[in-house]
Amino acid sequence: MQKLAIVALNSLLAAGLYATMSYGLAVIYGVMRIINLAHAGLMMLAAYATWALNDRFGLDPFLSMIIVAPAFFLLGMALYATLIRWLPRSAAGPSMQSLLLLFGVWLVVQNLAYAIWGGDTQSILTPYTMESVTFLGGRLGVPQILVFVVSILSLVGLNLVLRRTYLGKAIRAVTQNRDAAMLSGVNAGQIAAVAFGIGTAFAAMAGSMLSTLYAFTPDFGRSFLLKAFCIIVLGGMESFTGVALGALVLAFIENFASAYTSIPVSYQDAISFTLLVVVLVAAPGGLPGLWRLLDRRVVAR
Amino acid sequence: MPAENGKILAVSSVSKRFGGLLALDSVSFEVQRGEIFSVIGPNGAGKTTLFSCLVGTYPPTSGSVRFRGEELKGLRNDQVVARGLVRTHQIVKPFRDMTVADNIRVGVLYGRLRLRGAKARERVDEVLSRTQLGHRAQAKAGVLSIGELKRLEIARALATGPDVLCLDEVMGGLNPAEIQQAMGLVRALRDSGLTILMIEHHVHAVAGLSDRLVVLNFGKKIAEGRPGEALRDPAVVAAYLGDETEEEARA
Amino acid sequence: MTALLRRHPALVPGVLFAAFLLLAPGFAERGTLNDLWNMAFFVVLASAWNLLGGFAGQVSLGYSAFVGIGAYTTVLLANAGWSPWLTLPVGAALAVAFSVAVGLPTFRLRGPYFTIATIGVGEAVRVIASGLEFTGGSSGLRMPPGTFDFNANYYAMVGLALLTLALVAWLQQHAFGLALEAIRQDIDAAEALGVNSTQAKLTAHAISAALVAIGGGLFATNFQYISPGSVFDFRLSLTIVLMPIVGGMATITGPVLGALLFSYLQIKLLASPTLRDSYLFIYGGLLIVVMLFEPKGIVGLWERLIGLRPRRRAQPPVGEARRAS
Repeated sequence: MQKLAIVALNSLLAAGLYATMSYGLAVIYGVMRIINLAHAGLMMLAAYATWALNDRFGLDPFLSMIIVAPAFFLLGMALYATLIRWLPRSAAGPSMQSLLLLFGVWLVVQNLAYAIWGGDTQSILTPYTMESVTFLGGRLGVPQILVFVVSILSLVGLNLVLRRTYLGKAIRAVTQNRDAAMLSGVNAGQIAAVAFGIGTAFAAMAGSMLSTLYAFTPDFGRSFLLKAFCIIVLGGMESFTGVALGALVLAFIENFASAYTSIPVSYQDAISFTLLVVVLVAAPGGLPGLWRLLDRRVVAR
Repeated sequence: MPAENGKILAVSSVSKRFGGLLALDSVSFEVQRGEIFSVIGPNGAGKTTLFSCLVGTYPPTSGSVRFRGEELKGLRNDQVVARGLVRTHQIVKPFRDMTVADNIRVGVLYGRLRLRGAKARERVDEVLSRTQLGHRAQAKAGVLSIGELKRLEIARALATGPDVLCLDEVMGGLNPAEIQQAMGLVRALRDSGLTILMIEHHVHAVAGLSDRLVVLNFGKKIAEGRPGEALRDPAVVAAYLGDETEEEARA
Repeated sequence: MTALLRRHPALVPGVLFAAFLLLAPGFAERGTLNDLWNMAFFVVLASAWNLLGGFAGQVSLGYSAFVGIGAYTTVLLANAGWSPWLTLPVGAALAVAFSVAVGLPTFRLRGPYFTIATIGVGEAVRVIASGLEFTGGSSGLRMPPGTFDFNANYYAMVGLALLTLALVAWLQQHAFGLALEAIRQDIDAAEALGVNSTQAKLTAHAISAALVAIGGGLFATNFQYISPGSVFDFRLSLTIVLMPIVGGMATITGPVLGALLFSYLQIKLLASPTLRDSYLFIYGGLLIVVMLFEPKGIVGLWERLIGLRPRRRAQPPVGEARRAS
């Protein structure tokens, strides 16, 4: 029972990070119907930036997010202005062109990292990296707790922006119906740039936080990207609460699998890959789709 | 399979639900062999959804579709085409990078006839001339006018060698001369032995062409019969007028 | 004859080049022949991939799996006493089986979602292959001694390249090619005209998987040593995809041009240490440039330059009221 509680708590902590990581992807997809493969590279770049700030100036990784997040927000807007803006918008969902373009950006970013920092594995060591807190008879890592807190704060912040500000409402409007939003006076181009900035900033925050938990190389990011896809597909691709749910589901499945089954750690990534394929094929509407399916059966005619 | 009493298509209590939306509510009607049968109704009535359920784009939530006595529910689109029932699309879907001839060729090679070689080439030419697209045979579909694109939709479907042709608003967006031409084509197709099922908004085209029709509103059948009777039915008039009054009120 | 040449202007240089390749062992030195062998290998990979990826429009980023299956089948069976040539059909058969197993669930997905699923599948395969015992793990496997004959290897690969091109060209000209084109341009319309799109995709996938696997088997025979890093690598999947994209998808000459370009790039990259570290930059940069300026690749650029295509694609006619029915 105790073990169950600890595994559940660890899942919750992991879910926070997963949600942050996935929201970055979800915002961009929602506003522009673009699947941002460069997300992985941006997370990785942010991890390295955080590490560099820590290495050179001794800046605490969580504090450095105050610098890294806004910097990457601007980077995101710059990427939009120079590259994404020129892509033709396809009416029927995301285009292969955008997918491949951003894939190219990912490769370039990877190479940039190799060039600047080399291919060696890096990690960040802080005074509290090895610390843990005893709770309910089990240990919860301090970095994990901090990551969770920061994640929740950033998600609450995002939620506030989306609900209370004009910008946020404009973003939601464009996500639901771009043409109607434009007719209502929303400058879709500007919103897209801002959305790309927000998406990049969230990728950066996720990357910074990941750097406190894992060691990383320039190749880092691909498995997290696939997890993020898994989550937003689970969450129904356009629903913000869905993403949070999806993050919880994936985190729980992963943690329970490693705690209660004998699947080796190296195969764990295969779990999320398989789940991604399964969800894409069996439940393309994600959890909300499944819910609607159940709902229909309950309301029989 | 022999038709039962000249009945070629029997739609029984077909319903289609999308999540919380009931797009079709227990719609039933029968189409006789050789008829021109129209499906009309205000916008959003469920007409295109009905077509999609007939040809297998998606299955009906409940009910049955019997074509020449055989149940179609559960079959894929291409399987339904192989049995002789084919549709056109309200919003045209040409293969834009292919020539008109190749567009038609897809139907010839993969439709019910599955012709090859010289016979396939002959059929392509035949369809081109019947739909008066011969002069555009080598043009890329992407450069065609709307009238030509609508004819191409019909041509491709015709190429598959169907018994029943489901036309979805083939007169949408056409000028009066083109509408006359289209009406002539529809009559010619029926006279050549096809049964025609058509969704159409142009009331005088419907009245002029149809042997019988069915009227849908909000997914339900509200009238059925000969154009003369059905179009005068107060429920039908109210449905259309209601649609118009709302539009006027919003304007 | 002239009509044929007009429709396929690349036929003449193509035939000349094929003749050059076949006669090369008579006058070229070993280093050059190695490069030509490599180029032929790339032609096989790019052209085979293009059947599903270019013509049918289903972009798979997991093709290194088939290279690996072919390579490992050859090495494992050769070490068990088989003649390397007899191992090739077995590798092809296994690749076909795997392609169907992967295709059945994933071909229900459209466009980018399919591509992402293939990334996932490719990663899963790599992870599993690195962990298995009998594949020699990450240290790889060697071919048994006495199985190396460069002349035979050379003709085998060149022959496979020509066979692949001929097969893809033949398929493209006939009914199957039309089905694939229809699927790429509008899959719903294709199905509405009787095309069984899943079956067509599975077939294209299987044919290309078989060809790629045979190429993988020949690769193993020529290099005599393979490892998960060399044959199950994501970079290889990437290279396979980039060749037709840069050269021109949905054409016959596109993948060949792409193969030429990338085999040349690979030679240059291996020669210079600084460039070797920049290959991601070059690949990524190429992808960005192609997607932004000429998504139809080199062939598309060529067609635009000589006026075969208008500068802007013809827009769909306006005036189609979008109404619910």
